[in-house]
Amino acid sequence: MLSRRNLLFLAFGIGFGFLLSRAGATSPAIISDLLLFEDLRLLWVIATAVALGGVLTWMAARWGWRARNTGEPITIQHKPFKRGLIVGAVLFGLGWAGTGVCPGTALAMIGEGKGFALWVGAGIVLGAGAGSAINRRLERG
Amino acid sequence: MEIATVIEALFSPLWTPVLVGALIALLAFAQRWLADQPLSCSTGFANLASFLRPGVKRDREADWRIVFLLGIVLGGLLAALTDGAPGWQGTAAEFGVFYTALVPESSLGSALWWLIGGLLIGLGARLAGGCTSGHTIAGVAMGAPASLVASAVFFAVAVGSAQLAAWMLGV
Repeated sequence: MLSRRNLLFLAFGIGFGFLLSRAGATSPAIISDLLLFEDLRLLWVIATAVALGGVLTWMAARWGWRARNTGEPITIQHKPFKRGLIVGAVLFGLGWAGTGVCPGTALAMIGEGKGFALWVGAGIVLGAGAGSAINRRLERG
Repeated sequence: MEIATVIEALFSPLWTPVLVGALIALLAFAQRWLADQPLSCSTGFANLASFLRPGVKRDREADWRIVFLLGIVLGGLLAALTDGAPGWQGTAAEFGVFYTALVPESSLGSALWWLIGGLLIGLGARLAGGCTSGHTIAGVAMGAPASLVASAVFFAVAVGSAQLAAWMLGV
């Protein structure tokens, strides 16, 4: 359990949870401000994260930056167009709008002591388990 | 800038959006640089769910996903402890006008609402192959077409349904 990789990801998780909180993404009120176009601060957070991420991806590809653990060029992973993508994205959008929570922010909210997020988190675990089972069936044919 | 101003800014519960967005991008890229692994949340939830089923052998190679989720919880705790409020009281959730009107008032009704909302989020994320982390922050930044489509649907459906609900509720 106490491998180098696990410690690294523990640190990444702490950083990510902290930043989600400082972004305001752990407040359902601020999520509803985004979805109802009343305050776009989260849109700027997401747009900046995606834009800078895009620039870094481009630079890594352009100059062949190598990953420290593999010594190979950093992988640019493209998730597949899987069966269920659209249906899944619609369900996700409904759940996100209905609660003001997404998988990452649910965890950060639990850490902040927001009790309701325990219910949402439990639902995400059950839903993700069911989703994986459905994915396995879809893949089999 | 005076040091006192900087310290005060660090302990404020909300940071400038562009700054937080840039730091999230750097952190997500650090994962790819150090571990060749893009940001990912919802897959870890599916791994967590597999622990609940007896007799399923645990994939130790994927332990880091669960450790990452645990880290996010600790990160939220760290943020709450350093948000400038005196002591540890736990941060009260702010639901705003919209969620206050939308979510049932009774404790059973609201618990069911949050649980079912979570189910939709978890199920949808696994069927779509990612969530706002894996598809939007990581996938779109890597220029993945499937992630662009998934993210567009996430936002279109969330904005559309929230606007419709707000209109129906009159808030």
